[in-house]
Amino acid sequence: MAAVGFRNWARALSRGKQPGFSALLSQVRAASGPSKGMLPGPYPKTPEERAAAAKKYNMRAEDYEPIPDHGEGYGDYPQLPDRSQHERDPWYSWDHPDLRRNWGEPIHWDFDMFIRNRVDTSPSPVDWHTMCKHLFGFIGFMMLMFYLGEKFPSYQPVAPKQYPYSSLHLERGGDPEKQPEERERTNVAGSKAKSAAEERHAEGERP
Amino acid sequence: MADYREAPLATRPKTLDPAEYFNLSLDQRRAEEERAGLRAQLKRQYQMQLNNPHRKELIEDPALTRWVYARTNPYNHFRATKKTSLLGGLFGVVPLFVLYYVLKTDREEKRPCIYS
Repeated sequence: MAAVGFRNWARALSRGKQPGFSALLSQVRAASGPSKGMLPGPYPKTPEERAAAAKKYNMRAEDYEPIPDHGEGYGDYPQLPDRSQHERDPWYSWDHPDLRRNWGEPIHWDFDMFIRNRVDTSPSPVDWHTMCKHLFGFIGFMMLMFYLGEKFPSYQPVAPKQYPYSSLHLERGGDPEKQPEERERTNVAGSKAKSAAEERHAEGERP
Repeated sequence: MADYREAPLATRPKTLDPAEYFNLSLDQRRAEEERAGLRAQLKRQYQMQLNNPHRKELIEDPALTRWVYARTNPYNHFRATKKTSLLGGLFGVVPLFVLYYVLKTDREEKRPCIYS
């Protein structure tokens, strides 16, 4: 039985117009749902096909313009204006108010992009040149200020940390007999305090 | 506001849109009326189904069915042209090689640091 099934499958593949697995799928469709004539089809070439497609999509024949065919697979689907649902009248009584759409109205190819939670093509509150000026002006100003801040830094004076007891000479394992070399000391409080500390150190006492 | 320029891909405000003021010829008005007629027919169909007291099932929207079918079956009408081949190669084939190259080089550089 498996062999019979396999043979049928191979026959269907060789007979089908499209190559490969899709041959099986396109020849089998449920009887419920729309008929073949109501579903999207290939790109219309003759004016009769165009008129039929316009009627199928509930559009005027003059309004119907299929998406230009460069092989991407749009078929005869109409090219509707790229307007977001934000732009539609909020006060009109739509059949589906959240989507601002009426029943049966042709749906844009990118409809799920143009819903009210997503892309908004409605007019901007300020015109393009003002927006550009504001944005790039702000960014340019901030970049300039950061550059100047790098060039001319300004901060509290800092120095390396100074330790007592001759820079911790004994704690660092220095020889108790040897005198540590005099390090370059930054004057903190004044010469009086420094000389007092030096005296105490010279006597070998801990201050 | 004479020099208003809209953002690219956005629309002009209705008050600045020339179509509002200049689409007044008889042909255009007739076209608008035909469109309104189509809309009215669709509205009528929907309302008849909506308010039908004997209806038990959901109202099916053929436009929605068509949209879903069109979006899910592009390969029925797909053709391998220059443009589609280029896009397919650019998005499907090149990233594989680029990612392989980038990850491999990065790993080779890190390897001695980890295992030293």
